[in-house]
Amino acid sequence: MMMSNNLIALHDICVYHHVEIDFIQSLEDFGLIKTTTQKKLTFLSFDELMKLERYVRLAKDLDINLEGLHAISQLLSQVETMQNEISTLKAELNHYKQFN
Amino acid sequence: MDYIDYYKILDLKKSASIDDIKKAYRKLARKYHPDLNPNNDEANKKFQQINEANEVLSDPEKRKKYDKYGKDWQHADQLDAQQQQQRQYQSQGGGGGYSGGFGGEDFSDFFSSMFGGGAGRSSRQSPFKGQDYNADLQLNLKDAYTTHKQTLTVNGKQVRITIPAGVENGQKIKLSGYGAPGANNGQPGDLYIKFNISEDPKFKRKGNDIYIQEEIDLYTAVLGGEKIVETLNGKVKLKIPEGTQPDSTLRLKGKGFPVYKKADQFGDLYIKWQVKLPTNLNQEQKELFEKLSKS
Repeated sequence: MMMSNNLIALHDICVYHHVEIDFIQSLEDFGLIKTTTQKKLTFLSFDELMKLERYVRLAKDLDINLEGLHAISQLLSQVETMQNEISTLKAELNHYKQFN
Repeated sequence: MDYIDYYKILDLKKSASIDDIKKAYRKLARKYHPDLNPNNDEANKKFQQINEANEVLSDPEKRKKYDKYGKDWQHADQLDAQQQQQRQYQSQGGGGGYSGGFGGEDFSDFFSSMFGGGAGRSSRQSPFKGQDYNADLQLNLKDAYTTHKQTLTVNGKQVRITIPAGVENGQKIKLSGYGAPGANNGQPGDLYIKFNISEDPKFKRKGNDIYIQEEIDLYTAVLGGEKIVETLNGKVKLKIPEGTQPDSTLRLKGKGFPVYKKADQFGDLYIKWQVKLPTNLNQEQKELFEKLSKS
């Protein structure tokens, strides 16, 4: 069942990705994803689905447990921040290079 | 076509056991998995090589074939004969180890020649979506005011996008399929573009509303008058009522910023009046002000 506003029913996600609902609930307990409840049905937003798919791949491909996923999530977030910072600094540097 | 040493890729000896192969694959997969290496094409490529090596070495049949023909790549005739024999076997309904049904485009030419056009994949290996790319796009406020197209270069590829009017600073949009190619016939990743909107010296944006400050002289503030004000949408002539107070604000409905993806909807424009007092008065003017103050 699809909902408007980019919400996807948890049941559909479980069927499509062959994951147990308990796995998604555990991810939420670890603060790794956030579900939304509307009219007693649970949904994931599009952005949260992207996160979930990444955790599913890591868990299935590399046998990483929830604690590992939590650590990876924090480290990837740091990597992303640093990559953004590098990209901003590079853009600034290029800007100043034009004047030299 | 270069010979690919799958043992070297997995850092294994030729005598490695199935367990050794599994361990080596897991170790390298953890290091080069695309989800753990965002925006790293090199890691993505390496991951594909590791998968390919594991695909062959973890399957006893394929490993046997690789060990037999892999090094002596010049024995192509023998290999062809074997492949033909295998095709005959499959067409007769034998359906052996190479079941087909998967695309081979993520495997090397070496792999495809050795094991057929991608027919070597086992169902144990799941496809991997390509990594997502992230890009920043710098806009000024006037750029963000109108819907327009821009061409970006992301990892050497030209991507033309339409930027809808009203995008917010920090807002991200997703372009599906513009990320890195997937592995094992997986879908390509996505491209996420983040908009960085620089501040404008005159127009301050809060949501969909715009705030500006305009100067009027004392006489216009006291007696009323007209003023031409520049908005993001062109100039407008405003009537200033007599007795306009300093720092009072006028709201122009629908003259603010366009609402994102809502055609013909706009925020409001707020104009704060800065009243400029006259300086360097001559004697006559001073006397007039004095008279005024006593009246």
